[in-house]
Amino acid sequence: MHNDLDVIKSKAGEEIASASGLKDIHDLKVKYLGKKGLITTQLKTLGALSREEKKEFGKVLNECKNHIQDLLNKQEAILKTSELDISLKTQNIDVTVPGSSVPFGHLHPVTLVFDEIISIFLSLGFTVEEGPEIEEDFYNFEALNFPKDHPARDMQDTFFICEDVVLRTHTSPVQVRVMEKNAPPLRVIAPGKVYRCDSDVSHIPMFHQLEGFMVDKNIRMTDLKGILELVVHRIFGPNTSIRLRPSFFPFTEPSVEIDISCVICKGSGCNVCQTTGWIEILGAGMINPRVYEKAGYDPDKYTGFAFGLGIERVAMLKYGINDVRLFPENDMRFLKQF
Amino acid sequence: MKASYNWLKEFVDFKEMPEELAHILTMAGLEVELIEKAGNDIIFDIGVTPNRSDWLSMRGIAREISAILNLPMKDITASITNEIGEGPVVEIEDAALCPRYSSRIIKGVKPGPSPEWLSKKLESCGIRPTSNIVDITNYVLLEIGQPMHAFDLDKLAGKKIIVKQAGDANKFTTLDGEERKISKETLLIWDVEKPVAIAGVMGGGNTEVSDATLNILLESANFLPSSVRRTSRTLGLSSESSYRFERGVDKEAVILALDRAAELIVEFAGGEVTNITDKYPEPFEAREIVVPFKKINSLIGIDIEEDFIIKTLLSLGFVIERRGELLSIMPPSYREDAERDIDIIEEVARIYGYDKMPSTLPEMQMSSPTEHKLQELVKKLKISMVKSGFSEAINYSFLNPEIIDQLNLAQDDRRRELIYVRNPLRKEESAMRTIIIPALLNNVNTNIKRGEKTLRFFEISKVFLSAGKNLADEITQLGAVYLKDNATSLWQTKHEGFYDLKGVFESIFKDLKIKVTFSASQAEPYMHPAKSCAILIGDNKIGSIGTLHPAVADIFNLKGDITIAEIDDIEGLLDAASSKICFTSLPKFPSVERDIALVVNDDVTVSSVEKEIRGIGSDILEDVTLFDIYKGKPIAKDKKSLAFSIRYRSLEKTLTDNEVDEVHAVILKRLQDNLNAELRS
Repeated sequence: MHNDLDVIKSKAGEEIASASGLKDIHDLKVKYLGKKGLITTQLKTLGALSREEKKEFGKVLNECKNHIQDLLNKQEAILKTSELDISLKTQNIDVTVPGSSVPFGHLHPVTLVFDEIISIFLSLGFTVEEGPEIEEDFYNFEALNFPKDHPARDMQDTFFICEDVVLRTHTSPVQVRVMEKNAPPLRVIAPGKVYRCDSDVSHIPMFHQLEGFMVDKNIRMTDLKGILELVVHRIFGPNTSIRLRPSFFPFTEPSVEIDISCVICKGSGCNVCQTTGWIEILGAGMINPRVYEKAGYDPDKYTGFAFGLGIERVAMLKYGINDVRLFPENDMRFLKQF
Repeated sequence: MKASYNWLKEFVDFKEMPEELAHILTMAGLEVELIEKAGNDIIFDIGVTPNRSDWLSMRGIAREISAILNLPMKDITASITNEIGEGPVVEIEDAALCPRYSSRIIKGVKPGPSPEWLSKKLESCGIRPTSNIVDITNYVLLEIGQPMHAFDLDKLAGKKIIVKQAGDANKFTTLDGEERKISKETLLIWDVEKPVAIAGVMGGGNTEVSDATLNILLESANFLPSSVRRTSRTLGLSSESSYRFERGVDKEAVILALDRAAELIVEFAGGEVTNITDKYPEPFEAREIVVPFKKINSLIGIDIEEDFIIKTLLSLGFVIERRGELLSIMPPSYREDAERDIDIIEEVARIYGYDKMPSTLPEMQMSSPTEHKLQELVKKLKISMVKSGFSEAINYSFLNPEIIDQLNLAQDDRRRELIYVRNPLRKEESAMRTIIIPALLNNVNTNIKRGEKTLRFFEISKVFLSAGKNLADEITQLGAVYLKDNATSLWQTKHEGFYDLKGVFESIFKDLKIKVTFSASQAEPYMHPAKSCAILIGDNKIGSIGTLHPAVADIFNLKGDITIAEIDDIEGLLDAASSKICFTSLPKFPSVERDIALVVNDDVTVSSVEKEIRGIGSDILEDVTLFDIYKGKPIAKDKKSLAFSIRYRSLEKTLTDNEVDEVHAVILKRLQDNLNAELRS
């Protein structure tokens, strides 16, 4: 009887190992462990044995049953995994079909540059202020020391709404508006749209500026240089150098134009910098005491600086945009690149 | 301003090559914009800032070079010997407008061509040579910066000069042959009968020097800058003279220029010179500027030696006197731009060199920056729009005024009241926009032409609503436009673009924690009347969404499924958007969901059904969600089926079926009674 069992056991082992599907496993389960299965049949013979034999043979029989059950389970698990693998493979989808969600849109490069620069100044403790775009002559010119009938007004081609109202030609009027309402110390930036009555290959009639100014006791011109150097390094990288050139704006004295070393050719000379190695990027200066007088500040007590930065100009240099007229076009082929 | 390298060298013996000199000038504030070759000379095109009229001559630029390079300057001298008789009679009636007028008569001149060197110098600096007398006046203008004029003496009635305003003389023919209308205030030069020149701008044809001229009256005068500027602007006439007078000409160089010109005329055109007439009622007096030494360094932020400060100011022509810690400074007559200490400080810093200035950071107290709430909200909206697939457009703030009549706006709509630009570049850009949508529709149009099929644009910008007195209420608005192309996205769900855009705004308001509702009335007149809605907070309209009105689409040459949306006033959302987040604790008991499928008349809206369901006011009704709309067989033609999922939950216990059934039945009854709804079988 033991021998029979050994034969069954080894036969079962072989058959289970060569089972190639879950159906085979099922059949083998029936064949060995089912109601009429080979093991079950053996169990039924137990009744005819003596107590001793029953105990001994029963134990062996049970072991044999467990062994087969074990083999069946293991093989079943293996077959299940491989059958799932096969069936998953038939459910394939084309993963290269575009997803059905809407792709993100794009911020305008002017917004990107604004966001970058504004966040730099916020981190330096500046606050953001705004002013009207349709502005009174007083704020746009008069209070900034552009007297009427003064040739300095020719520096900015102006759109007029009427004699005393203009489209602001710069963001500088915000200086006066903020000073009228607040006492020093001031650390302010004013981003916004500005307008010049000028349109050609290198000018558009509406563009964007960021005004910045700082007023306190003991603000020095070297501070202006330091702050702007810091900002230029953050925008264009730490190897960009800046250069201050004397210039003239009625509302600053001394006034300077600030050049950066050409970001395209790194100073060796190219089209963008007209072979000079330098690119003019902003106008700045120490706030003219006349502006303080208009705002009611004591010019002997306070000093400060102001600067105006052209956003399109920065964007052109930063992204290598070669035509300023692309900014107001809103061509998707342009916007998509940002 | 064109400046000749060789000519400058006649004044200062510098060694610098043209490129080097150009760099030195640029770094001193005379920006050399262009370097050109002209024969064996080099011409610099210099951008002279409006404050430095003293740089509008070779002498002035040479003076600057001499100061920067610390080299001696060979100045111009002129003296007239053998004067014959009295100078001309000159009368200034408006002394405020004409601070100085000096003149000599030269008798027996022979007009003819100028010597070649003189013609060449004029040409290289951009002035066309004509004949010797006129050329010499122009030469002196370039050399010294003093505008001059020569009259034909024999054409001057009474041989007398009167300087007075135009008064009733309302027309005048300038020497370019143009008859010009002139205003009462215009300052003119007269003889005893008639005007003969527009002071500081241009001479008259009636007294012009010609080949036949024998005797001339030479004018070297000074006119009030603002008066010349007004005249030049009103006439739309600018000349080398007016350009300089507007910016201010050195009153003390008037005689030097007059004598220099007289000398040259005698040399090259012959003649004899009379005595001088010099009307100069209020001679120039330098105004003292006091600068504390300390202030120079404290404002600039560097230590500049006192010796350097004094040497620099002296070289620039300032007369200085040291008084202890103070410097008393008298600016020269050609530096009327120097008015206060700060102007002196600039001179020192400029010559010292900004490149030698270190960078420092300001010492300031820490303070907490206040956030700009509108900017923050705008930024948030921009990011939401971009994440929803919309690209940001930035258009000009201008509007074509013709468009505003084509948007079906009511007559009393505030957006019709346009603010006009007086000097627009194009008629299509002559008004300030009161609405953003038209610009976005134009963006769609141009992009379609470039091959785009689906477009999503938004813009957040100001619109300008008239507030009277030519000023505006500037309102920050959001506009969005969506062109849906169903043909290219067949595998995506097909429904009108309206629902896509509405979904975007629903999500955005949810993100902002602003509770909005949508109402089919009150949308905009440029939207499809049956496919548009207003966005409301409570009863206030804050925006609108709708399919573009087909008639408006036609105006913009647009076809297809176009949806537009607006938020009317972003600043107005600030209060609603700043509501605090308030946590509700999570439910402890499970919810029960029941679906309900109804058949209702076509005109019954989803929101009215929702309203009815919520209207039962049961504690256990938690949420209502629409999950299907169906039209077609077997539903009757004028009806539709709406299916909602209703979620019930109690905060106190687990609900039993009976409890839910009870409420559900009430809902059904209410829908049957109030909306004529039938339960779909």
